Amino acid sequence: MAHFHIQNLSFSYPNAKKESLSGVTLSVEKGEYVVLCGKSGSGKTTLLRHLKSVLTPHGKRSGQILFCGVPIDEVSKQDQASKIGFVMQNPDDQIVTDKVWHELAFGLESLGCDQKTMRLRVAEMASYFGIQGWFHRNVAELSGGQKQLLNLASIMAMQPEVLILDEPTSQLDPIAASDFLNTVRKINLELGTTILITEHRLEDIYHAADRVVVMDGGKIIANDTPRRVGEQLYAQNNEMFAALPTPVRVFYGAKAEGDCPLTVREGRNWLSKTFENRTLAAVEPDSEPAMEEVRNPALKVKEAWFRYEKDSPDVLRGVSFEVPAGSLFAVVGGNGAGKSTALKAVCGICKIYRGRVEIFGKDLKKYRSGELFQNCLAMLPQDPKSLFVKKTVREELAEMCREEDKIAQAAALCEIESLMDAHPYDLSGGEQQRAALAKVLLTQPRLLLLDEPTKGLDSFFKQKFAQILRKLRQQGMTIVMVSHDVEFCAEHADLVSMFFDGQILTTDTPHRFFGQNSFYTTAANRMSRCVFRNAVTAGDVVALYQKNREGST
Amino acid sequence: MKRSTVSSILTVLLLIPATLYLGTKLPGRWYYLTSTLIIIETMIPFFLAFEKRRPQARELVTIAVMAAIAAVSRAAFAFIPNFKPIVGIIMITGIAFGAEAGFLTGTVAAFASNFFFGQGPYTPWQMMAYGFGGFLAGLLFHKKRKLHQKPVLYLAVLTAFGFVGIVAVVGPLLDCCTIFTTGTQLTWAYALACFASGFPINVTHGIACGLTMLLLSKPLLDKLDRLKTKYGMMEAGTDGL
Amino acid sequence: MKRDAFSQYHPAVNFVFFVGAIGFGVVIQHPAYAAAGCVSAALYYLLLRGRSAWKLILSMLPLAALLTLINPLFNTSGEHILFRVFGRPYTLEALYYGMAIAAIFVVMMLWFGCYNAVLTSDKFTGLFGNLIPALSLLLVMVLRMIPNFFRKMKQIIGARRSIGKGAEKSGSTKEKIGQGMTVLSALTDWALEGSVVTADSMRARGYGTARRTSFQIYRMTLRDWVLLALMVFLAAGVIVAGGVRAEFTPILSIAPLTWGFAAYCVFLSIPTALHIKEALQWRISISKI
Repeated sequence: MAHFHIQNLSFSYPNAKKESLSGVTLSVEKGEYVVLCGKSGSGKTTLLRHLKSVLTPHGKRSGQILFCGVPIDEVSKQDQASKIGFVMQNPDDQIVTDKVWHELAFGLESLGCDQKTMRLRVAEMASYFGIQGWFHRNVAELSGGQKQLLNLASIMAMQPEVLILDEPTSQLDPIAASDFLNTVRKINLELGTTILITEHRLEDIYHAADRVVVMDGGKIIANDTPRRVGEQLYAQNNEMFAALPTPVRVFYGAKAEGDCPLTVREGRNWLSKTFENRTLAAVEPDSEPAMEEVRNPALKVKEAWFRYEKDSPDVLRGVSFEVPAGSLFAVVGGNGAGKSTALKAVCGICKIYRGRVEIFGKDLKKYRSGELFQNCLAMLPQDPKSLFVKKTVREELAEMCREEDKIAQAAALCEIESLMDAHPYDLSGGEQQRAALAKVLLTQPRLLLLDEPTKGLDSFFKQKFAQILRKLRQQGMTIVMVSHDVEFCAEHADLVSMFFDGQILTTDTPHRFFGQNSFYTTAANRMSRCVFRNAVTAGDVVALYQKNREGST
Repeated sequence: MKRSTVSSILTVLLLIPATLYLGTKLPGRWYYLTSTLIIIETMIPFFLAFEKRRPQARELVTIAVMAAIAAVSRAAFAFIPNFKPIVGIIMITGIAFGAEAGFLTGTVAAFASNFFFGQGPYTPWQMMAYGFGGFLAGLLFHKKRKLHQKPVLYLAVLTAFGFVGIVAVVGPLLDCCTIFTTGTQLTWAYALACFASGFPINVTHGIACGLTMLLLSKPLLDKLDRLKTKYGMMEAGTDGL
Repeated sequence: MKRDAFSQYHPAVNFVFFVGAIGFGVVIQHPAYAAAGCVSAALYYLLLRGRSAWKLILSMLPLAALLTLINPLFNTSGEHILFRVFGRPYTLEALYYGMAIAAIFVVMMLWFGCYNAVLTSDKFTGLFGNLIPALSLLLVMVLRMIPNFFRKMKQIIGARRSIGKGAEKSGSTKEKIGQGMTVLSALTDWALEGSVVTADSMRARGYGTARRTSFQIYRMTLRDWVLLALMVFLAAGVIVAGGVRAEFTPILSIAPLTWGFAAYCVFLSIPTALHIKEALQWRISISKI
């Protein structure tokens, strides 16, 4: 019997013109691992929330949802609470209590469990998830990855049969994200728990899924094994194709034949087999001009040292780099390496105690207060919500500048004209990002700093964001971004720097930078390095593939 | 009022005289202990009513958020010495959700923030004083939200209430703690001296609270209203008393 | 905080001790009792906080002096008039009384200092979680939010500074207040939005479906019961023995000490004794290795 059986479900929010779900029919078998994907606003979250009564949104609804053959409304709330686990996006907001152990017990307390059972279950979960080491800690001391793992563990303590995860890793860094997804996979394999998950980061889970369901405009447009779904999306020329893992995109982009590779390993095997015993006409993408001596850098940081408190360890340990005017300069590196602190040092929020920061050739200390952030420098923070203080987007922009035409210009550039009267918190993640960017741009900066700008964005919003950055650079703006997003940097940056242990280690063009790395590099590079050199984007690999195929036939 | 509330209030009405009587029988200096016990006993019916009601998740979370905002609010004015907006925010919560919620927010904000800054003999007094500020605001203004139609007058009234509420009620309640912990005899002279020495502090506190009402009451009430319409929050719990 | 043996006992044991120590401390104005309170509270506070304890202890001294000197100004009864202030007598008895009050005040502040170190928030909620489940959950939620909101407030202030909208130290008071209010307003928006998710997360985990139980991370063991019994026994001794009466004004009259004073001293030195005992045991067991 199917675990969930959704039959012809349609739903629309009050006052909405369009249906958010229309005629969705889907069943999920016991023990299955189902990945649900689609653009932001395609109805994924709305669908998932229908699978648990307390989370179901208000609105007009038709159709039926059966849980183990029983209509979901007739399943008791207590049963639903324990049998259907639901993990949400934001790791912080889901946590209720202040101690790790208390959070683990929260669900059991709510269900009225007795002490003995609680003790056992909590101990079991802490051991299974490796939480013993931080069992007595305050929640506030945990990292984002640990918080999300705690959320998962506190749900698993109720021993659910189904686990529903709504973009659980969008706020995590890549390493924490893949740890989390591996744990979810482990739960599925070892406990047989049914998994229904939505994700932006398909690279990590696509290959492991039993089934992939694709939604678009509230409808299910594909529902099949990962390989077949790739094929269907490519055949339909669907926008979602761009969000699929690199090996799949390369395979179809190159119009190759045979079985589509899903993982880097399969992709690598496929490429080596294709080009076995052949001399290649080209092994490298068209070479970029080598890095030149930077003249008149927009930003120059020399030997900057910083620590937060008198007795705390140094976070910046002699950071030096130069950013050529008009370039997009990306700084990549692990979590907590001090990348964000480096940005804060550049705009003077963190005051360095040794070294020098020059902005457009002038020492940071010589800028008078107010002068620095007018027509000169501005930073878009990691969480765009930190910038919102008003009731509508229009008022947000008006806080920065009185001139109507400048506001209109910024709004047009960031494509938020249709959102001007909305409350900033009613926007989706990508829209919030663009509204915040518009606000930042109204200071007319010549040097723009971006802190993790692609965090939580899906591939479409990323593309849109990249377009905006391109336009800004055409206007002569210099952009410095710090990011975990290796793929984004490889595709859009002019120069990439590696930040490690409070220092900048190397700086190079993306092709040479990622070409040299063998772990910290893009999926395209990892899968193609056996035959090609310095191919770092899916586009590079496709181009080289086709060049060599043409050459040989 | 529900029957359970009435009965718990009656119990307390018996408890307080009993405490007073026993207090005078104590051999030593009974005022601090007795007065503090009475303060705690006054808070009990509010707490019991809240427990009995088994509050919903959303109500609990909203009160928690407002109490936590109040507790951290001082930090937003790090550059201005002695600017304490905490009671202002508690009062706004009382206006938005009623006297009972205001009282609860005040007591919890005071108690919780003392876990970070240290509990002391003043804790029950602070809880009572802050809670009472929120309670009064709710009692006077919760049902009168229609005054919104005259925004200038409404804001002026709230600002004045914020100032007077601190100078006349919250501040003196806090000063009472000083009287009871440091005095050797309960004389009017000593009480007046304590109130007088606390007066300048209360005026500064009152100005901060009045300014908070003036500048924050409209935005915060709008936000809470927006949340109510967006998510249907607190609807069941609004008229808890 | 240093590791402390008494803190390892069940919160109920800790709580009863502080209720006793602070309750007796505040009520009894007998000078010998007050002195015993001062010494034992200061000693335990030093053991708990180490060197940083001196900050509180030393800051108590001027306050105590002030309280002592002020009292005769308001309490004018007494036989030995030292001098007159604005015609009102300043008496020796009232000065003594002031001293006793100052000592009581110091005792209370020091015991509260110890209380803060020993009875942490999770012990408090562990103690009252069953009695007042909704309130203790509310408290735990606020305690979770406070550090979170501090962090977010910092982020908002930083984000605003980096677009030139920050409050500067040099700005006018009006500007600073305006900026502070804007930050609070933005923080509220962010917090309320998050609260919707928190409420969903609570309901998704069954909040409100059954009568809540409370997970007890602390358990009463035999040694907890033994210590609790000892404490109750000693406290009862103090009450039964009596002899705590002390009058300062108008005539100095202090009751002679009884065995109740001995019981009081033993009661107050329990945490200190446990702390020292553990430290010694540890020393000895290490030296054996």
